Amino acid sequence: MLINALNGLVYGSLLFVLSAGLVLVYGLRRVVNFAHGALYMLGAYIGWSVATLYGFAAGVVAAGVALAAVGVVLDLVLFRRLAGRQPLITVIVTFGVLLILEDVVRSVWGTGNRALDPPAALDGVVEIFGAPFPVYRLFIVAASAAMAGGLAAWLRWGRTGLFVRAASHDASVAAMCGVRTAAIGPMVVGLGAAFAGLSGIVAAPFLSIHPSMGSEILVLSFVVSVIGGLGSFAGAFVAAMLLGQVQSFGTVLLPELAALLPFLLMAGVLIFRPQGIAGTKG
Amino acid sequence: MTALLELERVEARYGAARILNGVDLAIAPGERVALLGRNGVGKTTVVNTLLATAVKCGGEIRVRGERIDRLAGHTAATLGIAVVPQGRKILPNLSIQENLKLAAALRRKGPWTLDAVYGLFPILRERRHTPGTALSGGQQQMLAIGRALMLNPELLILDEPSEGLAPVIVDELGVILRDLAATGVAILLIEQHLRLVRDIAERYAVLSKGAVSAAGRMAEVDQEQLQSSIMH
Ligand SMILES: Nc1ncnc2c1ncn2[C@@H]1O[C@H](COP(=O)(O)OP(=O)(O)OP(=O)(O)O)[C@@H](O)[C@H]1O
Ligand SMILES: [Mg+2]
Repeated sequence: MLINALNGLVYGSLLFVLSAGLVLVYGLRRVVNFAHGALYMLGAYIGWSVATLYGFAAGVVAAGVALAAVGVVLDLVLFRRLAGRQPLITVIVTFGVLLILEDVVRSVWGTGNRALDPPAALDGVVEIFGAPFPVYRLFIVAASAAMAGGLAAWLRWGRTGLFVRAASHDASVAAMCGVRTAAIGPMVVGLGAAFAGLSGIVAAPFLSIHPSMGSEILVLSFVVSVIGGLGSFAGAFVAAMLLGQVQSFGTVLLPELAALLPFLLMAGVLIFRPQGIAGTKG
Repeated sequence: MTALLELERVEARYGAARILNGVDLAIAPGERVALLGRNGVGKTTVVNTLLATAVKCGGEIRVRGERIDRLAGHTAATLGIAVVPQGRKILPNLSIQENLKLAAALRRKGPWTLDAVYGLFPILRERRHTPGTALSGGQQQMLAIGRALMLNPELLILDEPSEGLAPVIVDELGVILRDLAATGVAILLIEQHLRLVRDIAERYAVLSKGAVSAAGRMAEVDQEQLQSSIMH
């Protein structure tokens, strides 16, 4: 029981950090980024390559930095132009980016699975109420909490975080107040992509690395965003935790339905709250 | 003397819709100018051109004699031009204090700090942690003015500040604006409320068909002449 709940927490934490990047970008650009899962996957592969040579910590740093750079380029080249376009156009374009990145990964790293061992310091198990539990999974929860907490504190209390919130609501008002809104876009999309990349490398020793890992988790990340209410961090948090538990208990209790459960949950929430848990109407 | 802000034959459009066809307007340091005109004539578009939300497609804008070629959204703020926009544009997802701090983004030096703004509008201090949109219309206008002051501007542009306010609040607004003018900040006042205009402005310009059709000193025109040049 407890172990199931813990596993749900681990998965939920990962989902939340990944979804936070999605929410951040949507908040500013109103672009639903289908490439977000591919960024997660790219983070896992880049992190894996660097980690096998220079160690896990270097892999994490590399995934974060490389994906931040990818995000900045994505915003300057694409997202800036997509802001305010019809949703269908943004979906098609970002889906195209997803396909391109998946192909890039296939041609650079091949189609096979890769495995990454947790770093020695985090390898092993601890006993939790008598049951063994991998230390690395606890690390996932801690790392996710640190990232999510850092992001929340920055948005809430940071000077630049204030600018981001203002620009997300009305960029022209923020600019009128002296905020360089042209710089906010690349920064936010870079940060969102870095979150995707970091969750990719952090997930790598827990899940496995393969070219469709991005699309797989992207679907769940969307379910989180929709259940949470598009653009809401608090909603995404609740939804990610909920979905983590549903996944974890679902695979044990209702294995034949497990793959469907997230969508049933989404349908259930949407029937009662079409705008999502924390969303506002419209 | 060099004008603080000078528009010369400025043309501007939204998409394909051309709104301004050559606007000439100059404001000297510390001067108080009213920009008048009928509904929908393009007064706000003049402001939007400075804020780069309308596209300038001709003419010249100079600030302290220097030509501004590339206008971005934050350019006006960096040049010391603060706007109290029509409809106030208080950000509902920020607290009152955060709305004010936002405009301290550039850290321009000057007398206006958070404390100074709270000194001028004590109600904002009292309610500083509530969302800006929880305020009444008049209080929101104070917040919008406070936010503009946080930029420590040399020119304060107010776009229909009396819109939607009760008459007693408009009187209060007049007092506040006169006190502000006395501090030496130049004011460009866009207003339909002619009594308020008369209280504040030394000069006026009337916008019509995308250009300035009449202009002069406030003291040299009576209310009826002013009305008819607006309606013209
Ligand atoms: N964002 C926009 N896109 C397209 N057209 C616009 C936009 N904003 C205003 N317009 C049009 O430009 C013209 C001038 O509008 P503007 O807001 O500058 O007038 P105004 O003089 O400020 O009017 P009011 O007294 O009602 O505030 C109007 O015909 C208006 O419909
Ligand atoms: Mg207007």
